[in-house]
Amino acid sequence: MLKYTRFEKARIIGARALQISMGAPSLIKIPKDVIFPIDIAMLEFKENAIPITVKRINETQFRRT
Amino acid sequence: MPKKTSKKEDKRQIIEKPEKSEKTKVIKSVKTTKKISKKIIKSKEKIPVKKDDKKIEKIDLIQNKENLKISEEINKILNDNFLPASIIDAITERVIKDKTLEPKLNQIITKSLEEYKKNLIDPSEACGIIGAQSIGEPGTQMTMRTFHYAGVAEINVTLGLPRLIEIVDARSIPSTPMMNIYLRDEYRLSPDLAKEVANKIEITKLNDVADIEADLTNLVIYVNPNAKTLEKKGTTTDELLESIKKIKKIDAKLEKNKIKITLDDPSYKKLLDVNETLKDLKVKGIDGIKRIIIRKEPSEGYVIYSEGSNLEKVLEIEGVDPYRTTTNDIQAVGRVLGIEAARNIIIQEAYNTLREQGLNVDKRHIMLVADVMTADGSIKAIGRHGVSGEKSSVLSRAAFEITVNHLLQASRRGEIDELGGVAENIIVGQPVNLGTGAVELVMKRITKKV
Repeated sequence: MLKYTRFEKARIIGARALQISMGAPSLIKIPKDVIFPIDIAMLEFKENAIPITVKRINETQFRRT
Repeated sequence: MPKKTSKKEDKRQIIEKPEKSEKTKVIKSVKTTKKISKKIIKSKEKIPVKKDDKKIEKIDLIQNKENLKISEEINKILNDNFLPASIIDAITERVIKDKTLEPKLNQIITKSLEEYKKNLIDPSEACGIIGAQSIGEPGTQMTMRTFHYAGVAEINVTLGLPRLIEIVDARSIPSTPMMNIYLRDEYRLSPDLAKEVANKIEITKLNDVADIEADLTNLVIYVNPNAKTLEKKGTTTDELLESIKKIKKIDAKLEKNKIKITLDDPSYKKLLDVNETLKDLKVKGIDGIKRIIIRKEPSEGYVIYSEGSNLEKVLEIEGVDPYRTTTNDIQAVGRVLGIEAARNIIIQEAYNTLREQGLNVDKRHIMLVADVMTADGSIKAIGRHGVSGEKSSVLSRAAFEITVNHLLQASRRGEIDELGGVAENIIVGQPVNLGTGAVELVMKRITKKV
């Protein structure tokens, strides 16, 4: 699996949280008490359920990690 | 946050590599070309004197074979994973020294690989800003006291903030130029030979070794050499005569122990002029080296410290070890030894000035500064006349200084701004191309549904 840098992770979760906050249905089962969009997005990220990745302009610079 | 992590890294470094000698550190920290590093290694091996060259060669060969064997093994274990060459070298060195480590090689490599990955910086991290702040914040705590007698007795060295500014500004001549001149094999062991080299380096003026008397009635000048000081400085009356004869429009003759100087066309004013030039006449030594101190260092032998610097000439003197002799004149190092050497000296000087003040700035921040200063092959200052003034982007230059002028000139020339940097994007009102702003999102094709 692709390993994300911390910036990419933040960006993906942020984008997904925006969708959720505007009413998008969650893609996984979320516990009833979690209602904050960012928390939901983070849960989805953990489950690898968010249908978003990043486009890397220069792949070679990531190859080392 | 950045400060914290860097401190952590620093500690780790110290713990990991406590026994390394100064020299290996130099080799490691620096991307020297192979040639140079080979030279350094050679000079290192030469230090134990009185060993047969053949013997050394043999030992060298055996070591090389072992080196190859172990580095091959390491490469096998690494299996396409990346570790810097310097770390691999350090591991090989250690393993060769301590045979018991060889079976644990696999463990060592995986562990260091893990550690290395943990320390790697993420792509699109704002390392420049972190570096600037990591140097700048401790910089505010530096004392303004300029002069300080550091280590070497009697030699005055600019330290602290003024020195740091000097390094970053890439001044052509430092305010207190200084050299550490190391000597080769037998020269560093014998006080007489060291003194001899020192005499060749330190500037000796005629006034130092002789009394100059002007006879105003006969319009002649007598130079009366002092035998004691002559011997101390290692010159003779004949040598004095030789150097005096180089002055134009005069005639010098040896009379008994004195040197008599007559003018080609005598006049009172010319006599005084010649008298002045005689006082300042260089008899021996190198221009720019004002004073010399010879000290005996415990593990080294005799080392010459000089006030004033002239790297080109000092390196030519016999007995001087050209591999280890250093100066604090960065421009001279760049001129004589090349840009990589200049980079090293910038790192070393900046790091030492900060450390002397008790400020522990991570070396990597300084390395970044040195890299920026030397990236295009010449030493550029940080600031108006160097890095900031030569940026390709108009908006970024305008944001730095003389806004109107830059914008006017740019519009006159019809410049195009690519909006690549930080300042430009902030001016325009776009997300900056750093960190989260550098990430481009796309839809994932295949989604995993739970």
